[in-house]
Amino acid sequence: MTEARRIKVLLAQFSLETHSRGIITVAGMLRDSGMEVVYIGNNTPEQIMEAAVHEDVDVVGISSYCGGELALGKDLIEEAKKRGVKDRMVFLMGGIFPPGDEPKLREIGFDGIFAPGATKEEIASFIEKAVATKGRS
Amino acid sequence: MSEEKTTKQILEEKLKARKRTPLYNPELLQNLAKDFETWKNSVVPEEDRKNWEVIPRTILGSEIPRGLLYTPLEVADLDYTEDLGFSGAEPYTRGLHANMYRGRVFTMRQLSGAGSPSYINQRIKWLLGAGATGINLALDLATVQMYDSDEPEAKGQVGTVGVPIDCVEDMDVIFKDIPLDKVSASIVTHYPRNTAILFPMYLVLAEQRGIPWDRLNGSVQNDFVMENLVRNAAEYIPPRDAFRVQCDNIEFLRKNVPRWNYITLNGYNLREAGTSGVTEMAVAMANGIEILKEMSRRGYDADWVAQRMAFFWAPANDFFEEVARLRAARRLWYRIMKYRFGAKNPRSMWERCHVQTSGISLQRVEPMNNVIRAAYHALAAILGGCQSLHVDSYDEAYSTPSEEASLLSLRTQQIIEAETAITQVVDPLGGSFYVEALTNEMERRILDEIDEIERMGGLVKAIESGWLHRRIANHIHREQRLIEQGVIKVVGRNYYQNPEAKEPEVKVHQYSEELRQEMCAKLERLRRERDNEQVNCALKALKEACQKGGNVMQYCLEAARAGATEGEMRRVFTDAFGTWRPPVYI
Repeated sequence: MTEARRIKVLLAQFSLETHSRGIITVAGMLRDSGMEVVYIGNNTPEQIMEAAVHEDVDVVGISSYCGGELALGKDLIEEAKKRGVKDRMVFLMGGIFPPGDEPKLREIGFDGIFAPGATKEEIASFIEKAVATKGRS
Repeated sequence: MSEEKTTKQILEEKLKARKRTPLYNPELLQNLAKDFETWKNSVVPEEDRKNWEVIPRTILGSEIPRGLLYTPLEVADLDYTEDLGFSGAEPYTRGLHANMYRGRVFTMRQLSGAGSPSYINQRIKWLLGAGATGINLALDLATVQMYDSDEPEAKGQVGTVGVPIDCVEDMDVIFKDIPLDKVSASIVTHYPRNTAILFPMYLVLAEQRGIPWDRLNGSVQNDFVMENLVRNAAEYIPPRDAFRVQCDNIEFLRKNVPRWNYITLNGYNLREAGTSGVTEMAVAMANGIEILKEMSRRGYDADWVAQRMAFFWAPANDFFEEVARLRAARRLWYRIMKYRFGAKNPRSMWERCHVQTSGISLQRVEPMNNVIRAAYHALAAILGGCQSLHVDSYDEAYSTPSEEASLLSLRTQQIIEAETAITQVVDPLGGSFYVEALTNEMERRILDEIDEIERMGGLVKAIESGWLHRRIANHIHREQRLIEQGVIKVVGRNYYQNPEAKEPEVKVHQYSEELRQEMCAKLERLRRERDNEQVNCALKALKEACQKGGNVMQYCLEAARAGATEGEMRRVFTDAFGTWRPPVYI
């Protein structure tokens, strides 16, 4: 076992998303929990995964408020698979979407889904466990 | 740097020169001060005496300390005529109209929901049938960001949070059987570019129906603060150019569509992004001031221009602060118009506002509680004297409101209007020592922040520099920590939680891929049938106007007439101005 490194999280939104309050809130929570946060703003699924690989992150978190979580979420996971990082990175989706989309997002390949009101403890402990389970060396 | 005086300096000088006659007798106040001390030291419990002032901790609150009891001592220098006056008279603190809601009830303007143009047409008619008195057209994400439904970025987001509009034909479907000259339509265009692109489509529709533009009545948003500060996207134009487009739109609309509110200075979405009610109003007014300065550089009289300026506010949880703020904004804008711009026409001194209750204050947990929250927000808006109102729905933390939730919001307005009797007396809280003291404090703080922005070189610079972006991020983090610590109490979330609470059944708007297919097919047909030569010429002329300085809305109008789509026009703007990425602060 090497010395434990700080968990590194990439946060982003899909190209057209207009709301940023949620993702700024989560960025603060994760930083307060001792994680390293990289926020790249609005990007396409391809650009997001390119940044994730470039930054060598443990976690990719997406915030979505205006739809697109399923269609573009799927593209994001496909990109991750294409780059061979789907199994070593943890994928999170947060924001406002119909409760019925939650199982669909899991099916697509998102590990964690968070709605408004999720606490710092919930999100941080989920990430810590998920990163440990995904077995990053 | 010019030695130009700031708005605050001008107001201070002009107001100092005016004679003040205090309402309260100074001698009696002296006696009262003595009695007050005696009472405080003998009757008030020691604990409360020590903690006389408390700071209210609420979502989006400005945290102005509050005393235990307010007396005339807190408003000792109140001059009735100078500070309050009568309703419909200067300084308009008590209301813009003499008879306020007795004469005309606030416009009930619920947002139109999400879905296809034909569904939204039905829904608008249904809302009007249920008693709504204005249209409030919400656009889907692709339309807000100025993408056509068939662009790859729009995937999964067509018809999600509003209605998609690509071209004049969509506008026609949305307003089918709705008389454009008889309804008041608010078209929530967000940005200046979006306004320059979409509003001409509405004008072309009016042309096609033979309705003269001077009979159209409604508003657009047209606010560069939305593009460069509040919203985020991958493809925005620089603040200075967005500000120019904003002013081009104003110039065109003021001349050609005289009853149209050419801007809705949008404090609302800035506040919701994460600022206090003070910053919300300071930024919107700073924009208003810069617009009038720019229009005067273009040779227009501020008194003529300002008559169609409108504001948009977000009343949140701190009830009396919200009432006081709406009153303060009316008085402050009046003073700015009268003393800074020398306005003489009452209409240009009016701070007319649309109000939407705060969405950020609503919670996902136990969503029916949101009905109560929104009703209090609405009550504050009405006691504050708003002109137009949208009440947020209880399911906002799940989805764009369902029809059922939307009706409940409209009913909330109707119940306040018809059953509580609060609309029968104008400015019922006026004269309360507390409300007047708070109104003074809000006005002072808003003017101080306008001053801060002006000293930075104006609003465009304050946005370019990222100063306001950082301020928003800091607000969000601080507020989140206060909620985590339980300092800001949120019932059901961190206060009186119900561990057995189950996720409720909320009927939500479902995304329809067929709608996107239909929109794509329509675009394909449009591009096949229109005169593409004419479209290209119009787009080329638009680009030249962007680069060489013609009024962009005039050229967008030609492009809309030729059948150009929203995305085609967006790309012209981006080509001409280049893109600007907002400073990122987290």
